[in-house]
Amino acid sequence: MKEQWRLLQTGFDTAFSNMAIDRAILVANSIGNVPPTVRFYGWMPPAISLGYFQSVTEEIDIQACKKLGVDYVRRITGGGAVFHDKELTYSIIIPEAHPAMPKNILQSYGRICNALLQGLKQLGIHGTYAPINDILVDGKKISGNAQTRKANMVLQHGTILLDVDVDTMFSLLKVPNEKIKDKLIKDVKQRVTSIEHIAGKRIRFEEVAEALKTGFEEEFHVELVQGILTNEEKTLAAQFEKECFSTAQWNHRR
Amino acid sequence: MRLHSVYKVPQGKLLKISVEYNKKNNVIKNIRITGDFFAYPEEAIEQMETKLRNTVLDEEQLLDKIRSIITEYHIQFIGVDAEGLTKGILMCKP
Repeated sequence: MKEQWRLLQTGFDTAFSNMAIDRAILVANSIGNVPPTVRFYGWMPPAISLGYFQSVTEEIDIQACKKLGVDYVRRITGGGAVFHDKELTYSIIIPEAHPAMPKNILQSYGRICNALLQGLKQLGIHGTYAPINDILVDGKKISGNAQTRKANMVLQHGTILLDVDVDTMFSLLKVPNEKIKDKLIKDVKQRVTSIEHIAGKRIRFEEVAEALKTGFEEEFHVELVQGILTNEEKTLAAQFEKECFSTAQWNHRR
Repeated sequence: MRLHSVYKVPQGKLLKISVEYNKKNNVIKNIRITGDFFAYPEEAIEQMETKLRNTVLDEEQLLDKIRSIITEYHIQFIGVDAEGLTKGILMCKP
């Protein structure tokens, strides 16, 4: 019999709640109260997530975010700023000691990205893993990923772009030099792609989630069983949202 | 003096570093290391920033200090390394 992991589909939520839920699952899994978990989710309202080490004032135009109703949140994972709009976000939370997880961090990025690649294949999209943390299709980025390890756990989350609006993205993110902004936007438009762009048609969030579920199942030889957040996880998530992810102290700490 | 650098680590990530230092003796008063790199454990970056205070802005001394902090706190960097950090910090100096 195949090992069973939990699948969570928590729908669309705020940036603060989304990051709190990922951390709550990490804590619950580290205590052994829930099995390894794969989660699919979206962001409402659209939001920017910042890497743990990034400076909020250096990366984000906070006034523009306020004007457009875009939230921002600092992640517990490193990596770069991401504008979460039309995309599917996943997270996987699993003990470091689990045999499916390579001890080597870069190798574990590769293994998890393979699951995403298998999922994309279900949609007829053939991509490649580009270390450290990207997935490319036709040489363009379709997915960015970030991993942390704490409490003897691996937590990796990342995005699959369903569609992309580079102009809006650049009105929210700061660029080093306004003079080169137009060129930068052009460059990014050439370097970033999306499922809609590759497939030539809109593919629904649910369909992409189904494809990725199969991808994770095939890569890790497990069965993903639809589950729900436990009460403990909900309580932890509410606490993390209130005490950490929604606070200026956390989001503006760097 | 407070100065800033942006340094793309070869085959790595983008480092953005601010350094406040004493112009008379080139000693770091305060430093902030930001960017889109990865470090494990993440919180060790704060220890690194604290421990780099009072270090002289000199390539050899910085590299030694950074390497010893990496060893002491068992830090694993991805997308940046001790050499990249040293270079980014020294680039703050005019």
